[in-house]
Amino acid sequence: MNAPNETPTLVVEDLCTSFATERGALRAVDGVSFTLHSGRTLGVVGESGSGKSATARSIMNLLPPGVSMTTGRVLLDGRDVRNLPRTESRHIWGVEASMVFQNPMTSLNPVIQVGRQIGEGLRYHRKMSREAAGHRARELLEQVGIADPDRRLQEYPHQLSGGMRQRVMIAIALACEPKLLIADEPTTALDVTVQKQILDLLDRLRRQHSMAMILITHDLSVVAGRTDEVIVMYAGRIVEKAPTLQLFTKMRHPYTKALFESIPKVAQPSHTRLRIIQGRPPDLATLPPGCAFAPRCAHAQPRCLSENPSLSGSEHAAHRHACFYPAGTPEGERALAANRAAGRTAAGLSLVGDLTAVGEGMPS
Amino acid sequence: MAGVGSSHLRPSDEVLLQVTDLHVEYSAGRGRTVRAVSGVSFDVAEGETLGLVGESGCGKSTTAHAVLQLPRPASGTVVLDGVDLTTLGGEELRRIRTGLQMIFQDPIASLNPRRRVADIVREGLDIWPDHLPRDQQGAGAAADATDRVRAVLGSVGMDLDEVGTRRPHEFSGGQCQRLCIARALVLDPRVLICDEPVSALDVSIQAQILNLLEDLKEEYGLTMLFIAHDLAVVKSISDRVCVMYLGRICEIGPTDTIFDLPAHPYTDALLASIPQLDPGGGAEEDVLAGDPPSPFDVPSGCRFRTRCPRATELCAEQVPELSEVSGGRFVACHFPLTGDPAQ
Repeated sequence: MNAPNETPTLVVEDLCTSFATERGALRAVDGVSFTLHSGRTLGVVGESGSGKSATARSIMNLLPPGVSMTTGRVLLDGRDVRNLPRTESRHIWGVEASMVFQNPMTSLNPVIQVGRQIGEGLRYHRKMSREAAGHRARELLEQVGIADPDRRLQEYPHQLSGGMRQRVMIAIALACEPKLLIADEPTTALDVTVQKQILDLLDRLRRQHSMAMILITHDLSVVAGRTDEVIVMYAGRIVEKAPTLQLFTKMRHPYTKALFESIPKVAQPSHTRLRIIQGRPPDLATLPPGCAFAPRCAHAQPRCLSENPSLSGSEHAAHRHACFYPAGTPEGERALAANRAAGRTAAGLSLVGDLTAVGEGMPS
Repeated sequence: MAGVGSSHLRPSDEVLLQVTDLHVEYSAGRGRTVRAVSGVSFDVAEGETLGLVGESGCGKSTTAHAVLQLPRPASGTVVLDGVDLTTLGGEELRRIRTGLQMIFQDPIASLNPRRRVADIVREGLDIWPDHLPRDQQGAGAAADATDRVRAVLGSVGMDLDEVGTRRPHEFSGGQCQRLCIARALVLDPRVLICDEPVSALDVSIQAQILNLLEDLKEEYGLTMLFIAHDLAVVKSISDRVCVMYLGRICEIGPTDTIFDLPAHPYTDALLASIPQLDPGGGAEEDVLAGDPPSPFDVPSGCRFRTRCPRATELCAEQVPELSEVSGGRFVACHFPLTGDPAQ
């Protein structure tokens, strides 16, 4: 851990983002708070619609102002960056904090040479000459492990492979030496061998530049070996937050545990029956009162249907979870045993045949 | 030739689908040809699930499409139930192809948004009414087709009365994949070809679909050709696995053997690239550098040699043939890993 008096690179306090839709306000991010120090990596895990990307985009101020509403505070190096005038904020986004996106195919401009795209930020923010920017672009390409950088600088994105394009995206993100790098599903579109290369590269660059990094992914195994802390999101809220090792050894929230157990694992023999999470993620426009996971949760009790648990501590100070009946605790195991005995949970979920029953259920 | 050879094929009377020396080529303009699949042979026995794995561009989807004759392979044979599909055309091919059904990666895009669920699932029976058991034809045929639709929807966990009149947009991705599976099953296919059926789905839904396919395999005695890039998914569902690289087979054999003791250096590298679910691990080591070579300009000899740590001159000159290394497991490599720690 860093010295407590050091200013954290990023502090997010009670971040809420909602989108105006035809069906009313849709709360995509609901009260997200965390702190991230330089040189450390935070993993954000969740399924589609859990609010992980909306969180990143809210932090980066990338959401369109007309249809979205964000409240809360974002402190970058101790400075509140949410309410800066345009003239100041334009030298923060992409300079002090930058982002790598999921799809390297669509994030690059197809009609501009790679070298110019890398140098663009340097020319604008750092007022570099064309030659200096070109020289720096070459250095950056070398840093991200692209062979023959002189030739690649002159090429267009379609001439590069998917892995190389993602390396170029990383070079662009790093051009102005940001303090914070947000990688939003950086390897989801890539093959497994290339995924490993890119994750290793991000890790190495984070160490070299002592950047703070947020790694957003749907894949628990991606965060397992590469993050210091993990946040698990469900329906816009943080449901569990813990140091990585702690999380993987003691999953407390029933959702985290169920998500982990539903992943096929290479270590298991083939045809191992997978545990499933019944039902499907909730519709954010019509969230149930109480815990959003309750309708799918094997631990659900009457209290879960009326009261929304807040993120609170456990036996380990840094390990927090939002659940009344956490897995692996006496009250959680009692709740699960009671539901199993009754054959159903308080939300009416059938537990007959354990958790491996077929039903995803009908659309409502 | 390499990654080629057919010594691994079982006698044709023991298998349901046999693909021999399949070549698929695409014209890429300017006189260039992409050899997407070069000399691939495999077979699938009745009730068996064969997993095809490899990185993008290795030819796994092309192979599956060529089995369906979409497009027709440049050469090779595809024998289903003793009939070579490559020699058939027109009506004959259409008829026999009802025995090969496919489900795709993007379940929402695979369903016509303007049609109702009952009609989508039923369409195959409307075109091939004689695919219903014989005593059900004639006056009672319509009702019986409805029964059949009700039965297959029931097998995928859906109720015809509840979903029949709805349209695809009312369903989530996982539910759309269930509908696609029901549509594929309605004609009682001999082989179900699954092309990345769970890669577009969330983890929790992915597990539901994988379990469903396992259940259906029991219920219908399904034979499956299962394509995926996710090794854990392939391991979970397959009886046998075929690892492909750049249009050729590296290794084929029983699933657990291949995953426990990979014999081809490429399989080994693939397995080492999988992120571990153990936060203690994750040591940084270079398992495989670079990207696969361009399919326009494939390396001579063994196609993996440019990225292979064990490659020698022999690998550049001679294409390795698939040969048996242990019971039922075949590897196309001059220097296979034997599991000997000294190596």
